Amino acid sequence: MSITRTLDLPTSTDLAPPAGAATVLARFVTRKPLGAAGGVLMLLLMLAAIFADVLATHDPVRTSMHPLVAPGADYWLGTDNLGRDLYSRVVHGARISLAVGVASTLMGAVLGGFIGLLSGYVGGKTDLISQRVMDIMQALPILVLALVLAASLGPSLTNAVIAISIPIIPRAGRVIRASVLSIREFVYIEAARALGVNHLRVAFRHILPNTIGPFIVLITAQLGGAILVEAALSFLGLGIPEPYPSWGRMLSIAAAEYAEKAPWLVIWPGLAISLAVFGTNLLGDALRDTLDPRLRGR
Amino acid sequence: MTRRHLVGPLVLTSFLVLVLIGISAHAQPAKAPKYGGVLVGSPLSAPPSLSPHEEATISTVQQASACFNNLVYFDPAKRQESAETLVPELAEKWSWQDNHRNLVFFLRKDVKWHDGKPFTSKDVKYTFDMVRGAKDAKGKLRVNPRKLWYANIEAIEAPDPHTVVFRLNRPQPSLLLMLAAGYSPVMPEHVPVTEFKNKCVGTGPFKFKEHRPGESVEFVKNPDYFVKGRPYLDGIKWVIIKDRSTQIAALQSGQLDVTGIGWNAANVETAKKGNARLVVMEADSGVNDNLLINFKRAPFTDARVRRALNLALDRKAYVVGPRQGAATFGGAMLPRPSGVWGLSDAEVKKLPGMGDAAKQKVEAKKVLAEAGFGPGKPLKVTVSTRALAIYVDTASWVVDQLRQVGIDATLEQIETGVWHPKMTRRDFDVALNLTGIGIDEPDANFLENFRCGSPRNYSDYCSEDIDRLIAEQSQILDRAKRLKLVHEIDRRLQADGARPILGWGKQYALLWPHVKNWVQHTNSIYNQSRMQEVWLDK
Repeated sequence: MSITRTLDLPTSTDLAPPAGAATVLARFVTRKPLGAAGGVLMLLLMLAAIFADVLATHDPVRTSMHPLVAPGADYWLGTDNLGRDLYSRVVHGARISLAVGVASTLMGAVLGGFIGLLSGYVGGKTDLISQRVMDIMQALPILVLALVLAASLGPSLTNAVIAISIPIIPRAGRVIRASVLSIREFVYIEAARALGVNHLRVAFRHILPNTIGPFIVLITAQLGGAILVEAALSFLGLGIPEPYPSWGRMLSIAAAEYAEKAPWLVIWPGLAISLAVFGTNLLGDALRDTLDPRLRGR
Repeated sequence: MTRRHLVGPLVLTSFLVLVLIGISAHAQPAKAPKYGGVLVGSPLSAPPSLSPHEEATISTVQQASACFNNLVYFDPAKRQESAETLVPELAEKWSWQDNHRNLVFFLRKDVKWHDGKPFTSKDVKYTFDMVRGAKDAKGKLRVNPRKLWYANIEAIEAPDPHTVVFRLNRPQPSLLLMLAAGYSPVMPEHVPVTEFKNKCVGTGPFKFKEHRPGESVEFVKNPDYFVKGRPYLDGIKWVIIKDRSTQIAALQSGQLDVTGIGWNAANVETAKKGNARLVVMEADSGVNDNLLINFKRAPFTDARVRRALNLALDRKAYVVGPRQGAATFGGAMLPRPSGVWGLSDAEVKKLPGMGDAAKQKVEAKKVLAEAGFGPGKPLKVTVSTRALAIYVDTASWVVDQLRQVGIDATLEQIETGVWHPKMTRRDFDVALNLTGIGIDEPDANFLENFRCGSPRNYSDYCSEDIDRLIAEQSQILDRAKRLKLVHEIDRRLQADGARPILGWGKQYALLWPHVKNWVQHTNSIYNQSRMQEVWLDK
């Protein structure tokens, strides 16, 4: 007599069809309206950055014979001390803020992620040493570390990206390492090793893709900070050099020289920085809540 | 007499009484100066050293002048400096001899250095032998920006402790004025010049107290000063504040008594709006904004490229934009009436960059194309400038002007401590520079900034013909004749684009009404910081 046991597996017809992108988006908007608002702000920022050449009414670095003109029909947001159109500079500033923010966050997150993966997977002395280095780097506030780096490298677009990305490395390293530490204990990792899959393949094929959730949360959470640090560096003259429009630099000139005479010089770049950082933070928070199973549904 | 007839005399009498009251009020004796108090000011930037002979910045001269004396000095009370406003300092009197080939100084006998050692003619000989780089000089300067000022001196003799004779190769009436410059103090022979990096030993009205690099420089009253009853102040404190908005706030709150150097018209307006009691002093002051083009670095060795750069810069837009109306147009010499030697208005209007902006830009593009640059192969230029707001504003404007003619220009900001060494090494393509003229005198300006081989001729412009003309004008004693030749040189310098002048910016001093006897000179900012007459009405 043979005993056969049939597994009570769900058939394909029992499973709910995977939700479409529109459904996921609609669910996200309903459950996380603030996050959605952040997303809209980010979308606007990205559109402004991509279509800056179309949206701008003037060349952002072109000086004119009309300095410190108040907002009006010719210059929607007014002009600065060299007669440059403020609206066009704010729009082009989005490109620089986003470019520096995204580039430095990605660079920091990828480098930190790689170190976190290595540290978490290899463990032992590698983990111990790399984490102590991360401790040292994290002991310094992000802005202070970025300031030291920017001051030693000198003001330029590339150096600003490098200076902002380095403080992100330990934060990214920690997040990815934590994920790796839990994933590496899963049975399928053990099975893969038992089948003779080499370490490199296990790490990059089986572990890394599963850290994508925390990685996305990390990027959105750090992006706002990176935009703010870029603004702070430029404000202090260590970020993007003149004459290219950086919100921080625009704010610096305005606040230092013309806050009383031409308040619009302070208002617009200040508002742009606030909205960009606000948007990324809202979106980052909502994504974290959505992607983290412990926080899901709260 | 009727009442009607009384009205006329009554009105007239009342009027006369009012006039008399007015006159008597006006004729009240000036307030007697008060002793005491420490004047707190904020300079342009931290001084790289307290050794004026080795520096080329107002930061050093403004802060160190109170420590020193010159043989002669420009009268601090007279606004326009000239040969007629010279006053004695360490020299009691002086005399030109042998058809202006010997200049003899008779020195004061009651002068002591701050460390108590007596001042003698040996100190004068030591100082100027060192500055002119004489073979037997007892001291050597680290850098010597104005060596050429003294190139015509054949020998300096000190026949007795209180007489000095400057023997010249040829007549040079300007020598007396150059000796009066804030850049030309007399230094002590017994103190190595290297010690002036962070301290100062002079004969001046104030003794060195403390130098905190990057923070402050302090001086205290010299009780043994040879001018009896001077100085009035107990001390001076220069506080380094890099940011203009912080300077404005510090002035308005009363933490500073005086500041304003390196400010523009908008800064002044903001400060004044915040506190209407502040006194504003505006003057031409002999500082020009100019473009340094490295004549020795390709492709700027090509005259067409240099001409294109010069044509690209619309001078009228410069005055409206970076200078916000507070500047005048001119050539290499400060324009009149503030200046003594400047070109006439009619001639200034013909200079490169003064014409129709659009036409000039078209011409600049054409000249660039002839030199091999165009949309397919843009000329790449780094515009260097000092990391100070007053430089960066104008440099940003320059970058845009160059971009308008198709030049791919980018801006590079250089810290003050590195700026002059970098320029002296000629380590730049193009630079936006502010040149303050030490004294409004063609010799000082031409020898320092345009003569072949001068360390301060940052562009390395060199024309033997111009050098010959500079030497020629230098020895002319008749002022009218000399003026004619000076104008000829100025026209040619502008045509050659030796150092394209954008314009001459106004300079400012903002002070509280309690600061007395502070006089802003109209044709130089370098020769008014002795502070021996300044007092505080507190």
